[in-house]
Amino acid sequence: MNDAVIRVAVVEDDSPIRSLVCEAVRRADFVPAEAETAGMGLELVADQDIRLVILDLGLPDMSGLDFIRELRTWSSIPILVLSARSGESDKIAALDAGADDYLTKPFSVGELLARLRVLLRRAPQEAISQVHRFADIEVDLVRHAVRSGGQDIHLTQTEHRLLSVLLTNPGKVMTHRHLMREVWGPAHVEQEHYVRIYIRRLRQKLERDPARPDHFLTETGIGYRFQP
Amino acid sequence: MRVPNGSFSRYLKALALCALATVLSMPLRGWMDPVNMGMLFLLTVFIVAVRLGRGPAVLAAFLCVVLFDFFVVPPHLSFSVVDAEYLVTLTVMLAVGLITSHLAAQLADKNQAVRAKEHETQMLYGLARELSSALTLDQVGDIIDRFLLPMSVEGLLIVGDGLDALERLQAVGGRSLGDRDADHARRALEQQRPIDDGGRLFLPLSGAIRARGVLALSGATAGLEPLLEAVATLSGIVVERLHYSSVAQQSELDMQSEKLRSSILSSVSHDLRTPLTCLVGLADSLVDALSGEQSAASASAPEKAAALRDQAESMHRMVTNLLAMARLDSGRVSLNRRWQLFEEVVGPSVRQLGNVLASRQLEIDLPDDLPLLYFDAVLIERVLCNLLENAAKYAPPAAPIRLSARAFGNDFEVSVCNPGGALPESQLEQIFDPFVRGTREPAVPGTGIGLAVCRTIIGAHGGTIRAETRSGMTCISFRLPLGNPPAMEAELT
Repeated sequence: MNDAVIRVAVVEDDSPIRSLVCEAVRRADFVPAEAETAGMGLELVADQDIRLVILDLGLPDMSGLDFIRELRTWSSIPILVLSARSGESDKIAALDAGADDYLTKPFSVGELLARLRVLLRRAPQEAISQVHRFADIEVDLVRHAVRSGGQDIHLTQTEHRLLSVLLTNPGKVMTHRHLMREVWGPAHVEQEHYVRIYIRRLRQKLERDPARPDHFLTETGIGYRFQP
Repeated sequence: MRVPNGSFSRYLKALALCALATVLSMPLRGWMDPVNMGMLFLLTVFIVAVRLGRGPAVLAAFLCVVLFDFFVVPPHLSFSVVDAEYLVTLTVMLAVGLITSHLAAQLADKNQAVRAKEHETQMLYGLARELSSALTLDQVGDIIDRFLLPMSVEGLLIVGDGLDALERLQAVGGRSLGDRDADHARRALEQQRPIDDGGRLFLPLSGAIRARGVLALSGATAGLEPLLEAVATLSGIVVERLHYSSVAQQSELDMQSEKLRSSILSSVSHDLRTPLTCLVGLADSLVDALSGEQSAASASAPEKAAALRDQAESMHRMVTNLLAMARLDSGRVSLNRRWQLFEEVVGPSVRQLGNVLASRQLEIDLPDDLPLLYFDAVLIERVLCNLLENAAKYAPPAAPIRLSARAFGNDFEVSVCNPGGALPESQLEQIFDPFVRGTREPAVPGTGIGLAVCRTIIGAHGGTIRAETRSGMTCISFRLPLGNPPAMEAELT
């Protein structure tokens, strides 16, 4: 793998937004690869060494959802979705299809870059590393040990399972259903309130200000995101 | 011919009356001329005809002639007639008896028919009166059911969708409509005449303009057609009235929303142009500053760019509110309610308002154990954003904003308070109307739509929102019903 150059595909049909996004990508020292249509985007990912895709959901030749499904049949690179629509169901559908994160237009360039960095930092080998650190918290997923500023923190088994799912997917937006399935099992996907109550417990144990969390973020109407 | 009940006893009575006439005539035999005594028998026939009807009267006519001949006409106790003169008497007596009985019976029949007609008219009058007070189709269906019940006829009111689209027929009162019935009903409507499906009768509900439905009748409809058609006509008039009253109501609504729309348009065009003007101005001066030579001008470039961003963000919020309002106003929005925690919308709201709240001190007071609430997170986040932005806009600079939430009895209350800028009593209600602002002078940018959106959203959740002044603070608080949260299985460790 070429460490020096990180290529990011920008699949967007609207040229002012495409050039704005490319400009931002360039500013973060990544190399943008532009595509105007979904077809060109897929070719781009297949031909070049692309590390991440920024995808507009409203493309002329193919729906964004189909693009994600198509891409996911042969690639697992992170996908960041841009959406002009504010409907939550579109975003959930994109996330369920395999997208990792989304931004609603208009978005700030700073926000876009922050999301890019988190998604790119998520290298495959990190997923199996056992110790995660954020703020002054240290979590050892294998030994089930959580320490905050040197103090041991007790987590229940369910809290620990939820925490490990979140920690191993940094920056990825996880829908309520997805978390329910991962932590409680497929029989419980309709009981979303469990996730909400357990996220509250994690926040109360691990966040500095649980009402204004810095790490366990709510994506309103969609799910949660762990921000290291 | 129908044989009315108790006919046998009526024939017996006729026999008895004839016998009585004979018995009465016996002692008078020697004193009176037999022809005069015949009058007594004629009177008997007449009385029978008037009181007991046609059949008994005919019986009485024959019987009286026979009895008269046998007992009164000499020779007594014999059918033979001595004087040929009596043959005329007997013949005339029989003829008069029969004619009388016929006339009397006809009179009685007519009388009965008139009475039946009057009863029917009374019933229809009652039906018309009840129908005239009906306000919904379901009520019309109930009234017709009640009317038809004593006649053991079952009625089903079938109308077009929205009383207009006749291609989609449906039964009133939530009853199901079979395909066969729908076909017959459609045929009755198209041909504008009753359709008889061997046992079921489909009558079009003709109104003044056109038929808007069909009355399907089953049961003992035979012989009742005129009455049932009258019922169908009455129902037709009522259904048409309901249709036009709903049309009138709709156009009234349309007019109101048109008025609101034009007021929104005029206000929005003002409120959107103002920040747009700022944006254009800021961008222009930024271009000047960056291309200009003067270092003093370019020094202010970062501030100008920041102002540009803030203006654009505020405009984005405004557009979001306008879109939310338009969506909510169209009445087609369905709440995406879930059992969740109120604090979850606090973080995203505060993040969204990052630049607005940056210079503000925000005090958040939320108990750790707030109960689960049933709400649409996106919409309640909108409410919270609007309330916080509102507080930031109207509170004096550097004054803290306070957000608190509590469960009270059956309600959950959220308050956003800021010191100063106390609202006059008269404006506490008004500020929730679209495009009304607390202060007269629109020195602060933004459409007056934020709080109207809040009220609409909270209303859709079955809650209430109000503004009040609490010990020098202006507070806007909303309440949502707590309801019954789903259970949670406890975890041991």
